[in-house]
Amino acid sequence: MAAVTATPAIDTRGLGKTYASGVEALSGLDLRVEQGEIFGYLGPNGAGKSTTIRLLVDLIRPTEGRASVLGLDTRRQSVEVRRRVGYVPGDLRLFDAMTAREQLDSLARLRGYVDSSLRDQLCERFRAVLDRPIRQLSKGNRQKVGIIQAFMHRPELVVLDEPTAGLDPLLQAEVRVLLRETADDGRAVFLSSHSLDEVQHVADRVGIIRGGRLIDVDAVHTLRERALRHVTIVFADPSDASAFRPPERVRTDAVEGSVLRLSAPESAMDALVKAAAVRRLVDFVSRPADLEEIFLDLYEEADDAA
Amino acid sequence: MPLELFRRGLGDHRRALVGWGLGVIGYAALVASIFPSIKGAADFKKLVQQYPDALKSLFGLAEGGDITSGAGYMDAELFSLILPLLVLVLAIGSGARTFAGEEDRGLLELRLSYPVRRRDAVLSKGAAVAAEILVVCACGLAALVVLNEAVGLDLSFWRIVAALGGVAALALFFGWLALAIGAAISSRMLAVGIPAALAAAAYLVGGLHQLAGWLDPLRFLSPFWLVGSTPLQKGIDGWGTLAVVAAASVALLLGSALVERRDLETP
Repeated sequence: MAAVTATPAIDTRGLGKTYASGVEALSGLDLRVEQGEIFGYLGPNGAGKSTTIRLLVDLIRPTEGRASVLGLDTRRQSVEVRRRVGYVPGDLRLFDAMTAREQLDSLARLRGYVDSSLRDQLCERFRAVLDRPIRQLSKGNRQKVGIIQAFMHRPELVVLDEPTAGLDPLLQAEVRVLLRETADDGRAVFLSSHSLDEVQHVADRVGIIRGGRLIDVDAVHTLRERALRHVTIVFADPSDASAFRPPERVRTDAVEGSVLRLSAPESAMDALVKAAAVRRLVDFVSRPADLEEIFLDLYEEADDAA
Repeated sequence: MPLELFRRGLGDHRRALVGWGLGVIGYAALVASIFPSIKGAADFKKLVQQYPDALKSLFGLAEGGDITSGAGYMDAELFSLILPLLVLVLAIGSGARTFAGEEDRGLLELRLSYPVRRRDAVLSKGAAVAAEILVVCACGLAALVVLNEAVGLDLSFWRIVAALGGVAALALFFGWLALAIGAAISSRMLAVGIPAALAAAAYLVGGLHQLAGWLDPLRFLSPFWLVGSTPLQKGIDGWGTLAVVAAASVALLLGSALVERRDLETP
């Protein structure tokens, strides 16, 4: 990860947006994304992800707070911000009658500067279908155009709103590789998603947003550490299963005959293994919770707090 | 100003534009081809003179206009209503489609995330609307210049140019108004509806103000009255036409200022 002293790729202070309809889509967002970092921005549909992203590229205007991108104010210096940023909209719409090539050419002229060898390389890499009208393309093939246009000017920050929706797993993997290369090149990636699975293999840090509020920001590995292990112990003697007293911070989920199911944080694993080891065991299985479950836990915590 | 948005604005409508151009040429040719059977027909002249003043006024034949002359005939059949109507429909449709329509369809989301000022995007699209109007009016001009010789309409070349200039000015006003409304409030329906309703009202005020006294003070607000409805017989009002073009520019500038103040809508 890049040094924290550098100008952040994204820096928001109390950023909020209440739409004219009265809907408070985002509130009090304080977020800092460093250069060279891939930041996963997670939340369910309607959580405020797209609102945040559209504020960053100045398509909508904040009703509170402010945001800067690459050290530039998103309101006063929006053109300069957009020159240096690539954006993949969540709901990508292209001109149906144009071919993908015409579309990319038109966007390149609009941008004024494009690295055409980079563009050709991206088209090659994603095997983009260039010479058929957009209306004849599958959702995945349209999405490729969206991704290529966001990278073809070698932006310092790429903002992607659910970019891999509609892409097959191979292409999703290819996008992940591209994002990693971008970050390794010292540039930043801001990636929104409603699926942890999409983000956990690529992001350095994850922010979780819900109901317009940022609930938590963590490194992906910290999130995993916080995650509970699902432990299944099969005792030789069924009475051991019901009599077993789990150590502190370990929760009993179920007892089924000789099978005991527990949930334990990583820090309690040692005590649990030692407590179980004094009995005769048939099997001991520990499986880390996936991030999806952590995600749900965090939501519940946020609900409890509310 | 982003040239690419101008190019696209024009390019996306090029098929429709060919259709409008051919339509204007075809209609002008049809009208002109009937003229030889009306030319100098005293009976017809008398018949038209007995029309109610309101009709004559709306058809550009008030104050001694002569429908059996080439200029009077073409004013009545082409310039008093049909040609401005055709070009206005094109202009209002194009003005509303190019910003509010594209916003409705989500097509501005990506392009306005590019290093383009929204204000400049509106101005570029305004230039594209103006270019479309010019193309269609140039088709009309070419048609009339040829028909003038072929049918013997006996029109002055400069009057033809002025007449089409007047139509272009009217179309520019309502087309830019449609664009500006779409840019200011993001509603394609209102971007079409308001200019269309205003055009209808302005047409009636321009045609009927002499007959309905209470309308008379309002005539200054009618672009049709400002330009004049008998362009081939009497020419257009230069200052009035200039005022219409100035009003069109004000509308466009207002739209381009207001678009900066709002959120871009998603479909």
